Amino acid sequence: MSSSTRRQRSGNHLRAQGEPLIWLTGGMFAIACFMIIGLLGFVLYQGLATLWPRSYLLLGTLDGELVAGEYRERRSYVLSRQNLDDLLPKSREAAQSQLDNRSEVTSHQWYLRTGNFEVINRHFQFVPEISIASREPFHPPDIWLLERRQWGNLYGFPKKLSWELEQGETAIQAVRSAMIEAAKTNRLFERAKRELEQLDRRLSNARLRVREAELADGSDLQRLADDVLATAVNIPRVDDTLSAHLKPIIETASQKERKALEHLARETISVQSQQISINEELARLEQEMRSRSLVMQLPVLDFRGEVALSADSFGLSQTSCPEPLHTVLGLEGKADDYKMKVILISEGHFLVSLQQSNAIPVYAWVDIAASKNTAKIHALREHQVLLSDIVRLIEPNRLSWTGKLGVYGSRWWEFLFGEPREAGVEGGVFPAIWGTIVMTLIMSMVVMPFGVLAALYMREYAKGGWLLSTIRISINNLAGVPSIVYGVFGLSFFCYTIGGYIDGGPVKAGFTPWPETTWFSALALLAIIGLVAFTLSFLTGRSKPDGSIGRRLLSTGSGLLWLATLAGIVLLLAKTPMFDGFYQAQLPNPTFGKGCLLWAACTLALLTLPVVIVATEEALAAVPNSLREGSYACGAGKWQTIERIVLPYARPGIITGFILAMARGAGEVAPMMLVGAIPLTSDLPLDMEFPFLHGSRSFMHLGFQIYALGFQSQNSEAAKPMVFTATLLLLTIVTLLNLTAIWLRARLRKRFQSSQF
Amino acid sequence: MNRLKAIADGQDIESVVHDEVLSREPVLTIQDFSLYYGRKQALHHITMPIAKGLVTALVGPSGCGKSTLLRSVNRMNDLIDSVSIEGDMVLGKDSIFAPGVDVIQLRKRMGMVFQKPNPFPMSIFENVVYPLRIDGERNKSTLMQVCEQSLRGAALWDEVKDRLGESGLGLSGGQQQRLCIARAIASDPEVLLLDEPCSALDPIATSKIEDLIEKLKGDYSILIVTHNMQQASRISDHTAFMYLGRLVEMGPTSTIFTRPKLQETEDYITGRFG
Repeated sequence: MSSSTRRQRSGNHLRAQGEPLIWLTGGMFAIACFMIIGLLGFVLYQGLATLWPRSYLLLGTLDGELVAGEYRERRSYVLSRQNLDDLLPKSREAAQSQLDNRSEVTSHQWYLRTGNFEVINRHFQFVPEISIASREPFHPPDIWLLERRQWGNLYGFPKKLSWELEQGETAIQAVRSAMIEAAKTNRLFERAKRELEQLDRRLSNARLRVREAELADGSDLQRLADDVLATAVNIPRVDDTLSAHLKPIIETASQKERKALEHLARETISVQSQQISINEELARLEQEMRSRSLVMQLPVLDFRGEVALSADSFGLSQTSCPEPLHTVLGLEGKADDYKMKVILISEGHFLVSLQQSNAIPVYAWVDIAASKNTAKIHALREHQVLLSDIVRLIEPNRLSWTGKLGVYGSRWWEFLFGEPREAGVEGGVFPAIWGTIVMTLIMSMVVMPFGVLAALYMREYAKGGWLLSTIRISINNLAGVPSIVYGVFGLSFFCYTIGGYIDGGPVKAGFTPWPETTWFSALALLAIIGLVAFTLSFLTGRSKPDGSIGRRLLSTGSGLLWLATLAGIVLLLAKTPMFDGFYQAQLPNPTFGKGCLLWAACTLALLTLPVVIVATEEALAAVPNSLREGSYACGAGKWQTIERIVLPYARPGIITGFILAMARGAGEVAPMMLVGAIPLTSDLPLDMEFPFLHGSRSFMHLGFQIYALGFQSQNSEAAKPMVFTATLLLLTIVTLLNLTAIWLRARLRKRFQSSQF
Repeated sequence: MNRLKAIADGQDIESVVHDEVLSREPVLTIQDFSLYYGRKQALHHITMPIAKGLVTALVGPSGCGKSTLLRSVNRMNDLIDSVSIEGDMVLGKDSIFAPGVDVIQLRKRMGMVFQKPNPFPMSIFENVVYPLRIDGERNKSTLMQVCEQSLRGAALWDEVKDRLGESGLGLSGGQQQRLCIARAIASDPEVLLLDEPCSALDPIATSKIEDLIEKLKGDYSILIVTHNMQQASRISDHTAFMYLGRLVEMGPTSTIFTRPKLQETEDYITGRFG
């Protein structure tokens, strides 16, 4: 009997064959890989390429324009009859001939970053390839790129320095060495400004103290304070005579008020004298900063006039400056003193550099395309730049590979550790990195004890049942709630309710306080409830755990009463007529009653709590019961077993979950928008200023930075490169956190591996 | 086979306990003890004495309740919610199941070794002195002394004395089990409960453990659950045969294995059923 008759072979059945399913599953796997690698590769490329220095080029268009910019990429676009109108006449002609009779064709355009924003009012430019007249773009070797504190990048040729060059010194050397001086001056200037701010803060603190005294006594000190200030203005120094001067004015006030008013007077006098000296210093520094500047020639044309220069008489080989050109450009000295270099940009359009002995060359634009015998002469637009405004000076077209690497490194350094410039579009994101780190750390300090203790209770103490299952399912579901919901909750609960309560008591938090008699009766009632709860739980502890109805009632009752006591305490706190906030004097300016570091951390803690609880529970569940039994058999109690056996064993899992929670928290953006992240601030949440950790400050956050730069800033297109770099950074941080988790887990797990079992 | 059939039918039977067993001074007495998992009764009215200083073996086919009985002695079954009991046990003069008994204090008077070795994820030294640690003992020399004593007692000292600081998980299976025995005798218990201590071990490790039990006899009263008839006959002084939650016959091992009073016991011992 052959086997095929014994058993129906299903050889032609698809599922019985391995091959097609390998293709199906493998194909899906390949698609998944492609998506992941694609995303990472895209972010990596864009993020890494942003800060790489590019070459700068000049182009002529068919219509005789000069186009200049840092070349970024060549993009394809659809050229159609509709967008012909955007083009100038000659370009339109060219486009029409390319279109032929079709309604649209795919064409290319060049994406150039132009810089020079304050002159040309844009950061970038698209140049259609059909309108480019130059055979090849010209890369001017002399071009300078100035990265500035304000207004972004400036590209241009240097023209004039406000000071004399030393013997044998080139312009770039001179500017670079002067920039070091200017940076020092700038630092002094910034420091003086900060000192001024601090003085202002001292003054407002003194005023706050008066306001506090006023609030405490319920009196109106406004008039007295005005009088005190009027007196203080005329006293040059703080000395013994001050009290004598003030005495007649503040006689009527109480002890506390007198102290506050005197303090105000003293502070005003001392601040005044310091303000004067600092303002003088500021004026001097500003003078100094203004004294060093340089004039740049930007690649923007200024028409100067038409001169007789025929195409035959003007050529690339020419080395001396023709008289008409010299005159119309209004150059100093004689025309013969200038050496001329002519560069053909496009047919009939020349860039001309005129150099007088060893001086810095002057550039001009000569257009002889329009007519046979005359040329249109354009000068390049001049623009003055203060040296103290310049952060970095490079010659993009002269950089060698190593030079480019150097610039790239220095830009990354600035990006990671520098302050933002230009509303975050340029410069660094250090405040955002720092804000993210500090916020995440505070979040973990909040979430860790809560999460671990809750999970311990659920896994080790609570008896299973529908209630526990419901709670467990709810917690798991909480992990899936959209994070913006947490943001809304955080804003209304933490910021407005709790923050408002801290700021200005129950009224500010939206509660109506009870009258004092009601409140005190409620307090007495609560005390009784608490006492009963305490007695009941004491009795429960003493009684035998025999599972009788009476004992169960006793334990349930005491539990309920404890809950009632807790609720009562919250209610009494919310309704107290005796508390009106720690920051009443600052109102209506909120201190904690707004989005800030503390509430952002609390909101994120709430958001990551499910992650921590679930991870901890799983880690606890993975502890073999035999270990617990072994411990109990040795006579260990429940907590001793948890402390000595269960927690150490579960630690790798708990820490892993914790780090995953941190990674999730660090990358979360939506709630941050509501509870404290702001796009730009120079105040760090943790710094050297007392009290070092500023829970009530708003802060910058990397994730929020990406959103704010990319979609909320004035010029999203200009900010786009920064968005990619920030994304790369955030991804790196999150990846690092996750890698740490994996490494830690592997390391700790090794310790608990038995050789045998 | 009538009795076994009666048991299977759910009828009560009279346990046969030999006089030689009853005449010994007991360290632990089990008195009419019944245990329920929820509604299901797992142990039926078990009454037997555990003799002081001797090894008592519990034998019987799987599911007969040997382990349940053993785990009831130090109230490990308390950890299972659905368990309820009737009857009592007496350790020395103290009731085990009387209301108000401090379970933790009770467990400190017994040592237990489980089927699978369960050393804690800590050093060998810490493993052994764990019972002292939870009592708050901090004196280094006391701990060291107890550690050495217990490890010598468990015949493990010579093998591990140079690496007390290493993880207990790094030992071989047999060594791990002896480490657990060392841990169990570290607090000088009145009764040592062994729940099939050799079932997860190879023959050589098993014989070492058996030698050890032989050595511990006299100093400790040992109650051991075993599946292995030869083992029971080799190491125990008394043997109790259980079937489906009931004690069938209990007597001196030599008697039980040679001429038991009941035919059913003989059938089981000689392997005719079970």
